[in-house]
Amino acid sequence: MRNIIFSFLALILLPAYMSGQVIKGKVLDKDGIGIPGAMIVAADSKTSTDTDFDGNFNINAKVGEVLKISMVGFDALSVPATAAPMSIQLQESKDTELKEVVIIGYGTRKKIDNTTAITSLKAEEISKTKVLNASQAIQGKAAGVQVISSDLPGSTPSVIIRGLGTALGGRTPLYIVDGMPTENINNVNTNDITSYEILKDASALAIYGTRAANGVIIITTKKGKGDKVSVEFESFAGFRAPLKKVKMAGSNKYSHYSNSALQTTTFSQDQPVNTDWFDAITRTGSYTQNNVSVSGASENIKYFFSLGNYQEKAILNGLDYSRTTFRSNNEFKISKKLTLNQNFSFGSANSTPKPLSAFTNAYKQSPIVPVRFSNGQYGVSYVGADGFAGTSGSSFNNVGNPVAQLDYFDEEQRSITLQGGLKLDYDILKSLKFTSQFNGEYYSWKNYNFEDTKTIWQSNNNPGQLSSIIYPADKNINLLTKGRNQYFNWNLSNYLTYNKVFADIHDIELTAGIETSVRGAREQLTVARKNVNADSNYWSLAGVDYVGTVVNYRDEVFNENKIASYFGRFQYKLMDRYLFTGTIRRDGSSNFGKDYRWGTFPAFGLGWVITKEEFMANAKGIDLLKLRGGWGKLGNQNVPLNNQAYSSGLTYYLGGSILNEGTTINSQVDPSLSWEITEETSAGLDFELLNNRLKGSFDVYDKTTTNVILNTRPYITSGISNSSPAHVGEVSNKGYEIALRWDDKLTDNLSYWVGGNFSNNKNELTGLKDATLAPITGGDLGNGQWTKLLDNTSVGKPLGSFYMYEYAGFDATNGKMLYYTATGAKVTQDALDANADKKYVGSILPNSTYGVTLGINYKNFDFSVDGYGTSGAKVYNGKKAQRFTGENIEDSLATDFWTVNNTTASKPGPFNQVPVASTYYLESGDFFRINNITLGYKIPLKGEFLNSCRIYVNAINPFITQKFSGFSPELNGNGDPYGTQGIELDAYPTLRSVVIGANLKF
Amino acid sequence: MKKIYISIFALSAYFFSGCSNDYLDVDQTESISTKDIELFNNDAGAATFVTAIYSKFLDWNMTSFSWIGLSSIASDDADKGSSPGDTGSDKDLMDALTYNASTPSTSEIFAANYEGINRCNQALSIIPQLDKADPALRARLLGEAKFLRAFMYFTLVKTYGGVPIIDHLPNPSSEEDRVMQLTRKSSDEVYAYIESDLNDAIAVLPNKSEYAASEKGRASKGAAYALLAKINLYQKNWQKVVDNCNLVTGYAIVSDYASMYKLAGENDAESIFEIQGTGSVPAKGISGYSNTQGARGAGGWGWGFNTPSQSLVNAYETGDVRKNATIIFAGTTLYDGRVVPLTVENPRYNYKAYSSAFTDGWETDVNIKYLRYAEVLLMKAEALNELNQTPAAILLLNQIRTRAGLGNTTAVSQGDVKTAIWKERRVEMAFEHDRFFDLVRTGQAVAAFAIDGKTFVAGKHELFPLPQAFITQAGGLSTQNPGY
Repeated sequence: MRNIIFSFLALILLPAYMSGQVIKGKVLDKDGIGIPGAMIVAADSKTSTDTDFDGNFNINAKVGEVLKISMVGFDALSVPATAAPMSIQLQESKDTELKEVVIIGYGTRKKIDNTTAITSLKAEEISKTKVLNASQAIQGKAAGVQVISSDLPGSTPSVIIRGLGTALGGRTPLYIVDGMPTENINNVNTNDITSYEILKDASALAIYGTRAANGVIIITTKKGKGDKVSVEFESFAGFRAPLKKVKMAGSNKYSHYSNSALQTTTFSQDQPVNTDWFDAITRTGSYTQNNVSVSGASENIKYFFSLGNYQEKAILNGLDYSRTTFRSNNEFKISKKLTLNQNFSFGSANSTPKPLSAFTNAYKQSPIVPVRFSNGQYGVSYVGADGFAGTSGSSFNNVGNPVAQLDYFDEEQRSITLQGGLKLDYDILKSLKFTSQFNGEYYSWKNYNFEDTKTIWQSNNNPGQLSSIIYPADKNINLLTKGRNQYFNWNLSNYLTYNKVFADIHDIELTAGIETSVRGAREQLTVARKNVNADSNYWSLAGVDYVGTVVNYRDEVFNENKIASYFGRFQYKLMDRYLFTGTIRRDGSSNFGKDYRWGTFPAFGLGWVITKEEFMANAKGIDLLKLRGGWGKLGNQNVPLNNQAYSSGLTYYLGGSILNEGTTINSQVDPSLSWEITEETSAGLDFELLNNRLKGSFDVYDKTTTNVILNTRPYITSGISNSSPAHVGEVSNKGYEIALRWDDKLTDNLSYWVGGNFSNNKNELTGLKDATLAPITGGDLGNGQWTKLLDNTSVGKPLGSFYMYEYAGFDATNGKMLYYTATGAKVTQDALDANADKKYVGSILPNSTYGVTLGINYKNFDFSVDGYGTSGAKVYNGKKAQRFTGENIEDSLATDFWTVNNTTASKPGPFNQVPVASTYYLESGDFFRINNITLGYKIPLKGEFLNSCRIYVNAINPFITQKFSGFSPELNGNGDPYGTQGIELDAYPTLRSVVIGANLKF
Repeated sequence: MKKIYISIFALSAYFFSGCSNDYLDVDQTESISTKDIELFNNDAGAATFVTAIYSKFLDWNMTSFSWIGLSSIASDDADKGSSPGDTGSDKDLMDALTYNASTPSTSEIFAANYEGINRCNQALSIIPQLDKADPALRARLLGEAKFLRAFMYFTLVKTYGGVPIIDHLPNPSSEEDRVMQLTRKSSDEVYAYIESDLNDAIAVLPNKSEYAASEKGRASKGAAYALLAKINLYQKNWQKVVDNCNLVTGYAIVSDYASMYKLAGENDAESIFEIQGTGSVPAKGISGYSNTQGARGAGGWGWGFNTPSQSLVNAYETGDVRKNATIIFAGTTLYDGRVVPLTVENPRYNYKAYSSAFTDGWETDVNIKYLRYAEVLLMKAEALNELNQTPAAILLLNQIRTRAGLGNTTAVSQGDVKTAIWKERRVEMAFEHDRFFDLVRTGQAVAAFAIDGKTFVAGKHELFPLPQAFITQAGGLSTQNPGY
């Protein structure tokens, strides 16, 4: 409106002043404060100038000539020049990222002034997808960040930022929750999060030194705002079901296949039972979440309370999970100079876990076995003379009844996480601030697991309930295992921030501080007792000594870890467009030997806001161009340790009856063992085009971890056979990231956006020092076969590489599977040479990940879609590869397998041998999935009481396109690239969820 | 005011840096830190490091299946045994002398002995620091460690020839120690090193009689002299053999040969040094030693490896009591009444590995006689004969023959007496892991293996191959034995 008035005034005065003269004026923001550094361009007069520190300017121009005023963070404005001193008010850009602030660790920075690669995600992005852990919700939303999640309740997604740089070390990014360093955010209610910042490049990360190599995620929770009390309710409820199922053979096809395999007629071709084991162990899952928060602010106090409850009945029978969270964040302005922030959170999780191997057993168990026999006993795999499953007969496979497995599995886990902190900000001077922050985290966990040993034995061995089969008297009736686990971590940091602008153009910010982080000793107590009372109320009686029934007792205290640090950062901005950041951190870690525990991690970043240059002033359609780049060095201190220990138990009789104790040291230690070091050089370009409607960025990086720790074997003559960690490897990650987003507002009622990001990363083990590695043979299938390897031959391959035989089709004459030897011959598995014929056949790591997003807001409706995909990864169909004789097969195999009458079948003939790990079971992990579709409607309200009410429907993971024939190509497994990650074995399937919810604000 | 804040801050940072190194010294809680030597600074603590060395001799890779393969199955005394299709991973190769540098049995023995040597070096490095332990005890323990180190270097040198001498705990980042670990020394240097260790041991070790009954298994002065005599024997240092044999005192040959291989005969008057196994709970026996050699098949109790060869059976003279004390024949009844039926898979088994009380146990009460007085007499006899004191040699030889229920030797000439002693060694010490090395030492190997139907390649088979893994690690610092 004011702009219009100005324009109008200018128009009236226009004729009087047509000749060139000095035009004076002042550029102001909406509060009337002068804006320094704004650019004034008089296009006709070919002159330009900047405003001074107070926002004043003088420019040679003609009265009435159009002046273009621009400033980063504000909407550009064109006004005619006037003879009278002009007063030009700029409107801050509404949704441009330019004025956004990013959190950079021990401070904040305007995004435009930041020289590093940081992805900043706001509350809406995180709480939109209705999942438990915020990291799962950000999948596909940040370029360069790969999230491998699982829908198993309470599971922790793997987050890999710009590629995997370690094989044995910790892979988890460092999470900083309101200043507290932590490894897991399962206790953080996503509704409490206000921002989720991902620090990606070394120049951003170096301020976190020796814990930064896997990236840092800074989570900030909400604070009170506004001037009145605001109450918000958020509730949703949803149903969950597997996104994709694998079709198994039915009873008759199973019988046909198994008879062919055994070359017998063991199984009748007309089965009375056809059990769908997957259906038998699963149910429709449901989950709900309810949150209430109270927040507000007065002159001196900001407050925020929230209470949340999450409940899930998982699709696996009996698996329930619930979490209750409470948070209180308060800010007290004690005096003009002193501000105190306090935060506290309580998180309690309860769950009744169930073994995921039930999924594998359901896959493998024969459909001819009933869930229960007619006598009420659980079905077992006995086949009688009639060719049907029965309570007696011969056992035809070693698979348990998965329904019985779940029913008998009785475990409960409870955990409590308390986090809290105090932060004191003191403005010593206008330009100098002192900050002191203390945070603590207490965690306590307990569980019990009750095994009804005798009943299980009877169920497995005596389904016919014969009196002749008697449980061995010397065995336990039952077994109760109880565990307790706890720790306390704390963190203290003190730092000074100095910020001043010199001579109008030199903007300096200095940060210097010290910090200590203590990861307290983990205490773990495990007691296993036999023959406890069947009634769980009487498991822990007062005054009873259980010594006679204790079968196992462990009382462990794991080593404490302390870090002491100094850090400093220098940020310099010249003329608002030339940016420099220098960072240094010096960390000492108690994990390492005295002479090797201190390390220095420097970094620098450079930035150039090109659009602030005069020569760009007239560039049409370009609102922002910023070039940035940097270099830095990071550490990963979470590596296998080199604690040398005495080991005992080497007892020996020296002739008589006295057993003498022996002690030795059975490990060799590399005293120079220290953190893994990652160096990264990166560059990026940020741009905003076409009136800020098209925004994007492009990043490239080259990251090398130079001293990757792997286990090496000492020389044989050292007499130490245990391998020990040493710095021997080098891993490279090179990649690029593109992010683009188009936002437009067509009318006041209709706006839309469409965006996407694409990341490509090339991971490679580039070198190994001359050392005898203890090979990592990973991806164990539990049947004597393993699928992954890292040893001296792995140089040039990506981490997480599969290593196995290459399938060569089957022999049409006998249906036997064939494999290529090293020389290219096709042989059966018995003729393979384990040392020569295996090959590297791809990795679990994808080359590319991508995300797409689009959305429309029309009147009170909002609609958005988010998708995510990966390509280039391999996955191993572990459950299928584990299949053994007498177990079920997939329908596609049962309908077209080799027999003497069907030699041109697409699948090999039946076999009764454990198949070797081969590419027959290796499949493409490429997929594209719609992660979320949201449709919301804001009910128009006029009431004083209820301010806002939005109802919404979400579809989570509604669609997927995948090449993998199993349940889900997204396989986090145990999160270890050399464990079950990328292998579908005992894996929880990805779920499709439909959610309905409402958000109310009072 | 601001200056005060800044100074406080600077001061606290300075203070922080000053104490932070101590601050970062975190006590190890999940395992016993090797820095915490004080925990062992007492008599019992000092002894534990030496017990660990003895304990090594019970390990599977040290004294069991691989050692059986290398020292016994490879010799002309024994065949692989077991089922024809069961190779025992490589025992068929050991039997046929077709092993190579990658054969597990030859590799394991190399690694296992260095594991034991490492424990000796640990004891020798740690015990002197334990100043609160009794000095006399510490001295004795160091002597035991040196005896055991000599024992293992002797095994290595007779098996592989010259090997690297690891005389202290290597520092993994020291180049000098790297070279030490990877460079073979000559066999003469190894023998000299063994002699020096034994001389140190002799100086401090007590006589066997001075040990309490429950400690008879410890290395004694007599054991060190006997081992030294055997080293002298291998180096053909005849006078020293005689001198050192004369210093082995306080022992006597027992009257009943068979009794030595029963529980009652453990650590008897003839015994100088044994590897001690106990089968009763908690069992600490030589891992799998009895079981791998136990009779196989119906009526048997073990894997059936290392069966006495026909060549050995033929070596016993008629009436030699040692034959039935050494060999279990299928279809016979054992001393404890156990009947070994004819249904077992092999005609003969090793009696000296048989445990009556823990027959099929994995860890049994069977001991291995490593040095006994009968051998001392035979070594002395051999040396005296070489020193042209043949009549004295014959007297000693006849002592052994008499105990075996045989008449006096008919050999008279120096050459015949030498052969007679060698033959006596074979039957006296059969299945005591001496034969292969004795054949090489005495130069009888080619002929003896020919009789047994195997080809011993002179210039090659005198030594076993070093593990390929070691040659690879050595990267040119060490070379493989000829022929492999």
